[in-house]
Amino acid sequence: MSRRRIRNILLKEWALLFTDLNSAFVITLLPFLVVGQGILYIWLASRFAGESMLTTQVFQTALQKLVEAIPGITQLPGNEQLLVLLLSQFNFFLLLIPTMIAMSVATFSIVDEKLSGSLEALLATPVRTWELLLGKALAGAIPALVMTWISAGIFLLVVSGLGWGELIGFVVTTGWFLTLFLLTPAVAMLSFMLGVTGSARAKDPRGAQNAALLIILPVFALIGIQITGIVWFTPSLILVLALAIGIADFITLRAAVRLFGRESIVVQWR
Amino acid sequence: MAIIETFDLSRRFGKTTAVEDVTLAVEAGEVLGFLGPNGAGKTTTIRILAGMIAPTKGYAIVAGHRTDRDVEQLHETVGMLTQTPGLYDRLSARRNLEYFASFYPSIESQSQVEKYIKLMGLWERRDSKVGAFSKGMKQRLALARALVHEPKVLFLDEPTAGLDPEAAGEVRELIRTLREEGRTIFLSTHNLNEAEMLCSRIAVIHTRLLALDTAERLRRRFFRRRIIVQLESLDARVREAVRKLPFVQEMGEEGSQLILELSDSERNRPELVKAIVEAGGRVIGVSEKQYPLEDVYLRLIREESQNES
Ligand SMILES: Nc1ncnc2c1ncn2[C@@H]1O[C@H](COP(=O)(O)OP(=O)(O)OP(=O)(O)O)[C@@H](O)[C@H]1O
Ligand SMILES: [Mg+2]
Repeated sequence: MSRRRIRNILLKEWALLFTDLNSAFVITLLPFLVVGQGILYIWLASRFAGESMLTTQVFQTALQKLVEAIPGITQLPGNEQLLVLLLSQFNFFLLLIPTMIAMSVATFSIVDEKLSGSLEALLATPVRTWELLLGKALAGAIPALVMTWISAGIFLLVVSGLGWGELIGFVVTTGWFLTLFLLTPAVAMLSFMLGVTGSARAKDPRGAQNAALLIILPVFALIGIQITGIVWFTPSLILVLALAIGIADFITLRAAVRLFGRESIVVQWR
Repeated sequence: MAIIETFDLSRRFGKTTAVEDVTLAVEAGEVLGFLGPNGAGKTTTIRILAGMIAPTKGYAIVAGHRTDRDVEQLHETVGMLTQTPGLYDRLSARRNLEYFASFYPSIESQSQVEKYIKLMGLWERRDSKVGAFSKGMKQRLALARALVHEPKVLFLDEPTAGLDPEAAGEVRELIRTLREEGRTIFLSTHNLNEAEMLCSRIAVIHTRLLALDTAERLRRRFFRRRIIVQLESLDARVREAVRKLPFVQEMGEEGSQLILELSDSERNRPELVKAIVEAGGRVIGVSEKQYPLEDVYLRLIREESQNES
């Protein structure tokens, strides 16, 4: 029964999502913007700042760690080493896609239903809170995930197109795959779960939006930590991280069911 | 047997008390009218009874389930028409109904959806987007949603509010059908005529429960029964004859009508007519004065406000 219900929520969400121009745009265009921008910065950096950046203090620790992780990289000239470092940030950079889509889509799916009163009608059925939350979170996380993977593919295409093809071998490592296929799904789920719960609890649409904004901060933190080399994310560390976030997903769902308070949804925003 | 029972049901929102100490019972198969001015706590009460929100004091049992505990089972046996239709505008009528129906484990949802789309007269428009529907059509679809799992108990929150007279009439007709099917209906409304037409008993609420009785008995409670005697003309002889009758408690007149309060308004009537005729009066008709339910209602609310201040 639960599976059937969750599937029904999923299908209904998609029917609404893809008939809404706004959300359809966010889901399809945002990934290209994120990838395009990332690559643009890297290209600009390598083109105009190349040599001088090598001596920048910020990257020194990270470069050292990169060499430790991939000894073969010392064959490359300095500026290409830096390029590999920058391109390697992309795995975390891609995490922005599910989180940003979650911000817009999860909020939208709750805010809209709360305002129209359909959520109240839905809560009058025997649907269980966790089924509803999970259904809504999956409905957003799945397309977000697919778009992230497509973006990763596009990223690789563009990188080879820019003539950096020989660097791909250094960028696409075990850690890259682990990030893409374990960490990203876990993060996508967490973002949507938080987005859905946050906006369900929010006192008004603006509150929902603000709560959703917070989801994105940890991703920036992750990128910052990696690029400055404070922590070097080895495959095993990424694995641990993915596992931890996976557990966080589960805990969030459990906590959300308690916190969710069906009542607050019915009663607020009248 | 009571199918809805509440015990000191109360609900506060921060400092506001929306509902206070409401104790009532509704029999199975009964249609109860739930009347009250804006902000009286009608929606709040319905939400508590339908297991949508919890009371802050007291409790309610509906169809054998504590509304704040057995929520899931409760939702399988009760239907709820919310104050706003709450439909998905960008989905078709059928898709809307299918979606909500899919959450009930024990129904054959496909045939139920078809049954109620037809019953609500929406079959022709079943594949149209709900966004294009009129208010009346939306309300009927929302009613279909409340019924799709064949609930024994139905909560209707202002089902005809904002509808034009024709659409409202259609909805009332549907409620009558449901009543005949023996469902228990808890109907909140501002429309006193509607309540009187559809309901076996009427509850008046203004945070607290002010009254709960049949319309007839509520009238009697506030207005003593008065008999109207319509005469061709009223003269001193007739007046005198009537005044002398021992069972006439009070006498007034309005044009050529006598308005009387009798000791027993049924049994004293023949005597009364005889006396008038013997005094030369020509009687056109004898009837009972009707007080609109509205007057009863307004008095209840006014008294309550006076008590408060
Ligand atoms: N979520 C809430 N927060 C604060 N106050 C509330 C909330 N819900 C209801 N109230 C208050 O409780 C009281 C009863 O509201 P309720 O909606 O039950 O009235 P109602 O009889 O349905 O009114 P109407 O005829 O306008 O629909 C009102 O004073 C209202 O302001
Ligand atoms: Mg109301």
